[in-house]
Amino acid sequence: MANIDRRDFLKLVGAGSVGAGSGFMLAESIKHPVEYLIPAVIPPEDFSPGIVTWYNSVCGMCSAGCGISVRTREGRAKKIEGNPAHPVNQGRLCALGQAGLQVLYNPDRLTAPARRTHPRDSAALGEANWEQITWEEGLTTVAQRLNELREGGQSDSICLLSEGVRGHLASLFELFIAQLGSDRLLHYDFSHPHSLYAANQRFFGEQVLPYYDVKNTRYLLSFGADYLGSWISPVHHSLGFGHSRQGQSGFRGQFVQIEPRMSISGAAADQWIAAKPGTEGFLALGIAHHIVSSGHYRGADRADWAKSLQNYSTGRVAEQTGVPADTIAQLADAFMGNRPSLAIGGGGAGSHSNGVDTLIAVNALNYLAGNIGKAGGLAFNPIPVAYPTAAILPHARQANYRKMLALAEDARRGKIQVLLLSGTNPVFSLPAAAKFQEALTAIPLVVSLSSFMDETTAMADLILPSHTYLESWGDDFPEPGVGFSTGSVSQPVVSPLYNTRATGDIILALAHKLNLSETMPWPDMKDYLKAGWREIYRRGPGQESFESFWIALVRAGVWGEKTRRESTGFVPDKQVVRNIGVTPPQFSGDSEAYPFILHPYLSIGLHDGRGANLPWMQELPDPLTSVVYGSWVELNPATAERLGFAEGDLVKVESPYGSITVPVYLYRALRPEVIAIPIGQGHSEYGRYAKDRGSNPIQILAPQMDTTGNLAWSATRVRLVATGEKVALVKTGGTSRQLGREIIQTTTSSAAYNAQDSGRIPLREV
Amino acid sequence: MDFFERIRDGWDKHRKPAHEDDFDYAWTMAIDLDICTGCGACVTACQAENNLPIVGEEEFARGREIKWIRIERYWEGEFPDAKLSFIPMMCQHCDAAPCETVCPVSATYHNQDGLNTQIYNRCIGTRACAVYCPYEVRYFNYTSHHWEEPLDQQLNPDVTVREKGVMEKCTFCIQRIRQAKDRAKDDGRRRIRDGEVQPACVQSCPAQAMTFGDRKDTQSRVAKMINNPRAYRVLDELNTSPSVIYLKKVDADAP
Amino acid sequence: MSVSIVPTLKVLKPAGMVLLIGMIGLVFGFWANGAYFPGTSPQQPINFSHKIHAGDFEIPCMYCHIQARRSISAGVPSVNKCVNCHKVIATQRPQIQLLMNYWENQEPIPWIKVHDLPDFVYFPHKRHVSAGVACQTCHGPVETMAVVSRMAPVKMGQCLSCHKENSVEHGLDCWTCHK
Repeated sequence: MANIDRRDFLKLVGAGSVGAGSGFMLAESIKHPVEYLIPAVIPPEDFSPGIVTWYNSVCGMCSAGCGISVRTREGRAKKIEGNPAHPVNQGRLCALGQAGLQVLYNPDRLTAPARRTHPRDSAALGEANWEQITWEEGLTTVAQRLNELREGGQSDSICLLSEGVRGHLASLFELFIAQLGSDRLLHYDFSHPHSLYAANQRFFGEQVLPYYDVKNTRYLLSFGADYLGSWISPVHHSLGFGHSRQGQSGFRGQFVQIEPRMSISGAAADQWIAAKPGTEGFLALGIAHHIVSSGHYRGADRADWAKSLQNYSTGRVAEQTGVPADTIAQLADAFMGNRPSLAIGGGGAGSHSNGVDTLIAVNALNYLAGNIGKAGGLAFNPIPVAYPTAAILPHARQANYRKMLALAEDARRGKIQVLLLSGTNPVFSLPAAAKFQEALTAIPLVVSLSSFMDETTAMADLILPSHTYLESWGDDFPEPGVGFSTGSVSQPVVSPLYNTRATGDIILALAHKLNLSETMPWPDMKDYLKAGWREIYRRGPGQESFESFWIALVRAGVWGEKTRRESTGFVPDKQVVRNIGVTPPQFSGDSEAYPFILHPYLSIGLHDGRGANLPWMQELPDPLTSVVYGSWVELNPATAERLGFAEGDLVKVESPYGSITVPVYLYRALRPEVIAIPIGQGHSEYGRYAKDRGSNPIQILAPQMDTTGNLAWSATRVRLVATGEKVALVKTGGTSRQLGREIIQTTTSSAAYNAQDSGRIPLREV
Repeated sequence: MDFFERIRDGWDKHRKPAHEDDFDYAWTMAIDLDICTGCGACVTACQAENNLPIVGEEEFARGREIKWIRIERYWEGEFPDAKLSFIPMMCQHCDAAPCETVCPVSATYHNQDGLNTQIYNRCIGTRACAVYCPYEVRYFNYTSHHWEEPLDQQLNPDVTVREKGVMEKCTFCIQRIRQAKDRAKDDGRRRIRDGEVQPACVQSCPAQAMTFGDRKDTQSRVAKMINNPRAYRVLDELNTSPSVIYLKKVDADAP
Repeated sequence: MSVSIVPTLKVLKPAGMVLLIGMIGLVFGFWANGAYFPGTSPQQPINFSHKIHAGDFEIPCMYCHIQARRSISAGVPSVNKCVNCHKVIATQRPQIQLLMNYWENQEPIPWIKVHDLPDFVYFPHKRHVSAGVACQTCHGPVETMAVVSRMAPVKMGQCLSCHKENSVEHGLDCWTCHK
């Protein structure tokens, strides 16, 4: 075009500019965003950027006390591994232990002290407002009240209720409560094996947990104890299991599990025997009867045993337990023929009305087989020379159900003026029938030292939030031990994230405000810990200075004394032998109206509910059912068919004391008259991952106790009521049958073991 | 070499599945099924180490969970003779991997250590590899994931955080293998010693059911386990030549 | 078949011209951004001159960037490091006064990263320094720069050619750098 008019020219210029502008902006938009390099102001001493720093400490996720090594980068905790030097777990760690990082970095942590502004009324739970206060204000309020009570001669209205703790924190609690003039110090954990302690007290004369040597045993007979999943020290037992199975030359350990619902220990067992619930004690005595009557047992007191066991012939026991008589005989022959053998009991079997007697019977089996004091059997841990005395018998303060009811009753009667709570959640983990939440409303001042807003902390008036275990100094003397004395030190692996304080520091701060500085002079927990370990150091060989001992201790994370205790030659008291026996289990609820027996069990990821606020644990598929993010009730398929239930049907599980609604899951390794529900879900507080998810079976348990006041949580009868609704269970498992694909292949025993060629690392000598 | 010779050379090299003599290390994992208790420690350890996302309940319900190692459970029989077995299943790092053949952009290929690699920034998300994998161990990021603060402080800086549209799977903790090689180089060019590198799952397993190492090292534990009469490979008949060896579970009731 | 093309073209032609000029403009704008605003040499909060420190005074790279030999990241010196010298040296200069402001407020200096690699790339300084790669190979002649500017493209091609030339062990395996 030769002539271009003005309009067109302007249009072209406009187009060109818009084009250029867009091109420029396009280039700008795909440019790499600006990144900053932020230096330190003063370089920190304990880390360098890009370089990993490891800290050894103690896991706080359950009561086993495994040692951990935490990998940190730039002051942040990245991964928790087992501490290879620690005798309990020897470098290994369970799923819950790995999830400790999510306790530290949980978005729902309590970040600062707070005071309730809303009235504490159970109906208004969850709507409470909290006003942030300073530590000074919080501590002063509590100290003033404690002082008033102490001066007014009302020291026994002060109560400290904690989770099960050991070591120097336990002794600090003891000291504090004693200095206040009170004796109300209780530890409460749902899963504490009270009946096992009671049984050991009766049979062995000591209220301790012995060392169960799963590693070296040739034959393990477990009465209800889920030793691989949740019983006492699962990592240590798993190590032992692996070694006993395929780590020994020439033979392969055998494992038998007796329980009405298959747990992972049941899945790992060579034989799973579903005795009728509550009859495990009969089975144990039936086995004992066969051992004595067939001449396997040749001890001097066999006449006494024969007399005590005369009513437990295999025929009678077969009737009572539903286990065939020749199976009972076979178990007895195998138990005696594969020594050293080991019998353990606990879990559901120890939580019936006859739980203590059942576990005494299990102890008796070990005696008859000569397992006591032997490798591969059970052995008593030596009491170390150097323990802080208060930490020796941590069981002494554990509150069983009767004691918790007494506490609630005292609260209702106005006998408790101040309740200090530390890390325990009884509102969730006690049956609703205990009416514990209501009892709390009668206590004028409830102070919680928890790190999370759980159901019990939601009832508090004052929150003085504590550090998580990864931010705290502490120590532990694991129980059950490992056959020799061992202790571990816990140190902070990161700087505290929030305006929280270590539990020990809070107690010491209160002590100072109460003018107890003479008897409790330590400024903080670290100082108290060091003072305690100085005592331990003094009683040791003392070759180096205390400072170098302390540094070596904290670096290693673990300490031990190479002492063992001679425990062979144990003979039970004649009276004990005479009184051996079990009564049939008593259940709560009429068997017509409530035809099923409820079997609640600790779940792998959530344990007693503590893991429910950890997203990794919510997302961990349950090993046996693969369900995630919810609760379910397991029904035997035949039972379900009879009742017309399919998977996903929502049913109301009703006991005489309450009801919960859960979807059905068909589980074939379950007695037809038993239904099973995992424990852990059903929180009404406790953070975004836990809240309003699933149901809590503990709620509907009957307040039934065994002879020593422990909750018989396996003794509740229930009925199932259809709701007509259905949900889709969220699970990862597809078909549970191999359909000929031979994904898991099996072999017979004869080709099974050649440990020398297996390349396995031998477990260290413990 | 002229053009035709080069073609023949390439053909010879690649017609052998896994061209084994070319491996520098041949990383192998051995899992003893007679010991695995199904506890799931390996699953959580992997999640922590490799920045696996928290997908949430909805995504789980749609089958879009991301678990590089999963525990499969198989039942046999009915009550009262029901038997349950577990098998941990992760990327088998097959030497003749079907997934490697189909990727149009070569985002997955076999490297010189016998590992099946997955390069996130190259992946374009066709998901064909997941279809081809017979073990179903490949996971696709259907959404971008979010870590509620401060959970993101826990993320491992040695591992990429994957975005939406990218395939991921078990890597035998390549970041740990790389660190071990780094340490070996610092020590003066030695080889990685047996047991020096352990993926997160192997390190955590409470029962010690898993072992990891270099099968080219005849003294290593895995080399011994390969020769165990109980050793087998899953879906071996498909000739994928996996690098994961399982030891058969012992069935005490078998005749 | 009596569609007439010429009238259609008459309408389309001006529209087409506009579009054409627009496209040309787009390409030009895109290029201009890259040519005149490459972002390779950003303005830093303090005009720290490597020319003075590393060039004239010959301070070795690793005196300040201490982690280069030990860690994956070379690190940038802490404020403390600068202040160690500059609490007595050249204290009256305005840039030093800016530095002392940061120090007094205990605030870190927010340097802008010039050599930035994407998050999915694993680049260990330690490995390269131990292999004898001079800092200048990738970062250019920093000791002559008053303001640090990115000389090398820092794109994968550069990494690969160096890995090829020097026959780096497994240097061509993607997983060496990407994960």
